[in-house]
Amino acid sequence: MNDEIIEKVSAVLVKAGSTFRPDQKAAYERAIASESNAKSRWVLEQVLENAKVAEKRLCPLCDDTGIPHIYLEVGANRSISGSLIDDINEGIRQGLRKLPGRPMAIKGDDMQRIDQSGGLNEDSGALAPSPILFRPCDDPDKIRLTVLMLGGGPAIRGITHRVFHRHSVDVVVDEIISRAREAVSKLGCSPCTLAIGVGRSQFEATSLMLEAMAKGNYDYQTEFEQRITSGVNAAHIGALGLGGDTSVIATFANIGPQRASGVRVVALRPCCCFEPRRATIEL
Amino acid sequence: MKYLETPISEEDIANLEVGDIVNISGWIYCGRDAVLPKIIMEAESGTLDRKVDLRGGVIFHTAVSPAGVGPTSSNKKEIEESFGPLSKLGIKLHLGKGAIGAATIELLKENNSVFAVIPPTTALFEDQTYERELLVHPELGMEALYRIKVKNYQAIIAVAKGKSIYE
Repeated sequence: MNDEIIEKVSAVLVKAGSTFRPDQKAAYERAIASESNAKSRWVLEQVLENAKVAEKRLCPLCDDTGIPHIYLEVGANRSISGSLIDDINEGIRQGLRKLPGRPMAIKGDDMQRIDQSGGLNEDSGALAPSPILFRPCDDPDKIRLTVLMLGGGPAIRGITHRVFHRHSVDVVVDEIISRAREAVSKLGCSPCTLAIGVGRSQFEATSLMLEAMAKGNYDYQTEFEQRITSGVNAAHIGALGLGGDTSVIATFANIGPQRASGVRVVALRPCCCFEPRRATIEL
Repeated sequence: MKYLETPISEEDIANLEVGDIVNISGWIYCGRDAVLPKIIMEAESGTLDRKVDLRGGVIFHTAVSPAGVGPTSSNKKEIEESFGPLSKLGIKLHLGKGAIGAATIELLKENNSVFAVIPPTTALFEDQTYERELLVHPELGMEALYRIKVKNYQAIIAVAKGKSIYE
């Protein structure tokens, strides 16, 4: 085992679960300044204040600390070994204990894990991370690891489903806005950041969506992303559904290769007011 | 800002309107979908542990874990189905998040109870939570029924007197 890597991974998980990035804080400050609904503005202020306290103490932003998802970029001159993956998994385990993560791993066999009859594991570190998503790194000499902590509320309201595009971007945008309005209105913890992947299969679209969460930046929005954000905000759902101008802070979209077909597969996750909870290190 | 101290009186609840920001202090119960149906069944059959006194109480829809507390969606099936029975048993304020249905709003009105939404500010709650005690169903782990002593939890009244902030 490589203790240096384990410690780095552990620390980055704690950072992901406890810290807003500078662009995320700035996005909230802009939203607070422009929100016309006093109750929604109060919610936005509470969320930002909570983030400042969590960062100061390195404690969880939310009690649903989320399921660790790992996004790993590998440069052309680097390689991944089985022992490195073991070290990453051990770092995740230690980070969950340190944060501390919510102890929500379900014990038991397949059926017991479905109906939850096997009980809960009291060890925060027992929560297995999702399978690793590997992608090429833009720097050939680096391995870059991003840990994302995905909460349960957005998982309830997320949708991965096809769109018949009719050879029109407008059709796809309108369908995404329609789905997102429904999802955001039912998500308890808005304002959201919408994470979107557009691909050729459910697996690919969801992978692209995770990449959008790993890479998205609140300071940079494409026209496609701005149209979706504006379209959902026009519904005036507001923070916690209390009405107002800020239902969605931003949209992080990732459009992958497409199939010669009338169908696009769209993965949509209405990330909660703390998401994407993520942090990145180089290994 | 309106101040509520548990146990909450019928009069205090009658004075609340949709949109009021309330400041909650005192002992409050914590439970969600796994434990609430069990509590209702036990209370209705007279087998609920006597240390659980629901009269004038607040039920916060949350797990209680080393990670802290924070609202889960109150419109999950088992949680929303608990509003009516728990209100009849004495709960005056249901604390969580998300819109609830028309039938549930009517049940709250019938029992002079309210629903308040609270931002999911776990780090802030840590400063405002002083004691925590596991009451019943320890086998459910973080989803057992707990009570916690809180000071100055701030929430918005979302449903009162048959009206909803989500309308």
